[in-house]
Amino acid sequence: MLRQLQAGVATLEGPDLRYSFVNDQMRELVGEAKPGQRVADQPGQLPSSLLEVLPRIYAAGEQYTVKACACGPQHCYDLSVQPYHDEHGAMAGLLLLAVDVSEQEAARQRAHELALTTRRLDARLRVLTETAPLVTFTTDAQGKVTYVSPQWYRFTGQPPTADLTAIWPLLVHPDDRLRVLYEAEAARRVGAGWNFEYRLRRYDGAYRWMLSRALPEMHPPDAPVFWHGALTEVHQERELSEARRRGEAELRFLADSIPELVWTASAEGLVDYYNQYTLEYTGLTKEELGPTGWVGLLQTEEQAAAARRWVQSVASGTEFEGEYRMRRHDGVYRWHTIRARQLSDGSGPRWFGTCSDVEEQYRLRQVLQTQYDELSRAHHNLDTFVYAASHDLRQPTNNLRGLFEELRRSATFADPEQALMLQMVDAALTQLDDTLIDLATTVRTQRQQQEPVEVLDMALVLEEILLGLRPEIMQRGARIEVLVGDAPGLRYSRANLRSVVHNLVSNALKFSHPVRPPHIVLRSYHTPDDQPVLEVQDNGLGMHIDNPAHPVFQLFARQHTHVDGTGVGLYLVQRIVSSQGGHVTVTSTLGEGTAFRVYWTVPAA
Amino acid sequence: MKHIVYISRAVHALTDYDLQHLLDQSRRDNAENGITGVLFYSHGNIAQLFEGEEATADALYERISQDGRHSHVRKLIDRSIAARSFSEWSMAFHPLAAESFEALQGFLLPHRVPPAPATLPIADALLVELVRLAVFGPDPSQPYHHIVAPTL
Ligand SMILES: Cc1cc2nc3c(=O)[nH]c(=O)nc-3n(C[C@H](O)[C@H](O)[C@H](O)COP(=O)(O)O)c2cc1C
Repeated sequence: MLRQLQAGVATLEGPDLRYSFVNDQMRELVGEAKPGQRVADQPGQLPSSLLEVLPRIYAAGEQYTVKACACGPQHCYDLSVQPYHDEHGAMAGLLLLAVDVSEQEAARQRAHELALTTRRLDARLRVLTETAPLVTFTTDAQGKVTYVSPQWYRFTGQPPTADLTAIWPLLVHPDDRLRVLYEAEAARRVGAGWNFEYRLRRYDGAYRWMLSRALPEMHPPDAPVFWHGALTEVHQERELSEARRRGEAELRFLADSIPELVWTASAEGLVDYYNQYTLEYTGLTKEELGPTGWVGLLQTEEQAAAARRWVQSVASGTEFEGEYRMRRHDGVYRWHTIRARQLSDGSGPRWFGTCSDVEEQYRLRQVLQTQYDELSRAHHNLDTFVYAASHDLRQPTNNLRGLFEELRRSATFADPEQALMLQMVDAALTQLDDTLIDLATTVRTQRQQQEPVEVLDMALVLEEILLGLRPEIMQRGARIEVLVGDAPGLRYSRANLRSVVHNLVSNALKFSHPVRPPHIVLRSYHTPDDQPVLEVQDNGLGMHIDNPAHPVFQLFARQHTHVDGTGVGLYLVQRIVSSQGGHVTVTSTLGEGTAFRVYWTVPAA
Repeated sequence: MKHIVYISRAVHALTDYDLQHLLDQSRRDNAENGITGVLFYSHGNIAQLFEGEEATADALYERISQDGRHSHVRKLIDRSIAARSFSEWSMAFHPLAAESFEALQGFLLPHRVPPAPATLPIADALLVELVRLAVFGPDPSQPYHHIVAPTL
């Protein structure tokens, strides 16, 4: 029976404790122990502590159990010893039992190793949590703070005996306290983590911004019991971004108070802010404007060029500036100067732009320009008129003097008073002639100083002159063609050229045909022998050319009395051109139109 | 009909393989869904314009904005349009192995991208030019090297 036991069994007989029975399992411990051999001589793996007590148990003869442990090559055993008696009740020997505890032993060993590892990890965790520059903490589901790392005590200056759960809300800034308690509690209730910032009182009484983040410890399906988290100081970052936020808010407030269009754009040139005034001016929302909507507000013909300029500015980082007409909410276009500059600072480049309304200035400038043109032309005309008139009046004056000489020679005067009168007439004639000469010289010398000769860009000058005539052109719906390709430049006095063209074009406009809008062609070209010519051709009333009763180029000559005019214009044209050595021709068909050709003589350099 | 323009940043630089995969899948699905437009990619910078029926376009934007391959997806414009400006859907980027892409349907080298179609409203055409500049830099024939701010 003993053989079948799942345990090692051996009997030790008599006071010498000699082996008598040893089962197979026990062999693992005692080896080749033979019956009759003393256990003291063949102890095998039996531990010495056991061997020492065996004789004493035998001597005592009492029921006694020792526990010892021994391991063979394959298994570990718990050993127990019991005395046994013969049929007379006399002491006979000791029964040695070895129960296989390998499994338990292995488990125990593992537990031991685990405990060691845990201790090591624990130590590491402790060192880390206690040295990292942040506070770590643990709370339970009720919000009781069960752990804070030593940094918390160092930061707050609280004694280690402090009641954490009670005290920490008192250290939170009063303005943040309710929010923090509420948010933490809400997170605990739904078993979620949290992430918020608040001000915590430091040991010196100063409140510092902290970032608190915590996550629940999850063991599904159970509801979380603990929340572990960390508290980091974010004061400086927070102050910085606060300052930036404040700066930004103040800037926006400022921008929103200005009656100008103000906007900002990202480094990519995408507008991310329009001020209040922009929305009022355009009558559009931020969404309707979008990142590039401003370009759609410009005059259609100017949009593509403005878009290209903006892309170019963004690509190169160079300033954007231009004058554009921008549509107001009521559909009216007003002139604006659009300016944008790139600001590069720590947070990457950004664009700041303004659109200033310059409509008033623009109008004023145009009015001034027109008035200036008008004045300078009037002045010039006056000059020319005085010059021409004084020149032309000398001929009759000379005739008068000749006639007067003739009269004095052939007539006789008896009355001495009459001789005096003759003298006075003579003096008056001389004075008249001198005055005319003086006048002509004065005007001519003035003119020569005032009117430098330069190479004129015909296209530009003609455009300028036409701009001055815009009201008349618009009023009559005239179509004007300018063809200067054949002779784009002319060396001449700017003021003279202006006078000539202005007079010819305003004539053409004035004497337009009542049944058709004026069509005027200005053509600059060269004759075969290279003389520059300006041709002004209209489709107007036309005129008699060879009618001695209505000369074309005479002072005060007027072809059409039903049209307002002084009769000075063509006379002036003729005078100006011929004074420089050129001449003017005219061809005309009544009812069909007139063509003037001005043959310039280029002054010597 | 509407069109949507967004820009974003790839989470990891996309490889030739990734790009080709995206091109194949998007071209197939877009043709099926009646989506046309163009996508720009360079060095992690992404911009895309697409047009289609309102519901389809919205659904596509929803899917794209959830796509884990990119982040910082920022919608720049989302507007009704009267008609399409693009006849198909294509993608422009600089592959490492350009030769193997040249023949691919719907693939464009960045400097071969035609200018924004004239049928786009001027504001949207300008937008396309600006995002193209943001993705490829001033010279689209050169792979783009400066970093676009991630706060896009
Ligand atoms: C930058 C980018 C652009 C994309 N463009 C498209 C596109 O134009 N059309 C499309 O069908 N999917 C596009 N996708 C893919 C979608 O995000 C999504 O993966 C795809 O539609 C498959 O979605 P599903 O897996 O939900 O069916 C794009 C993805 C990324 C990252």
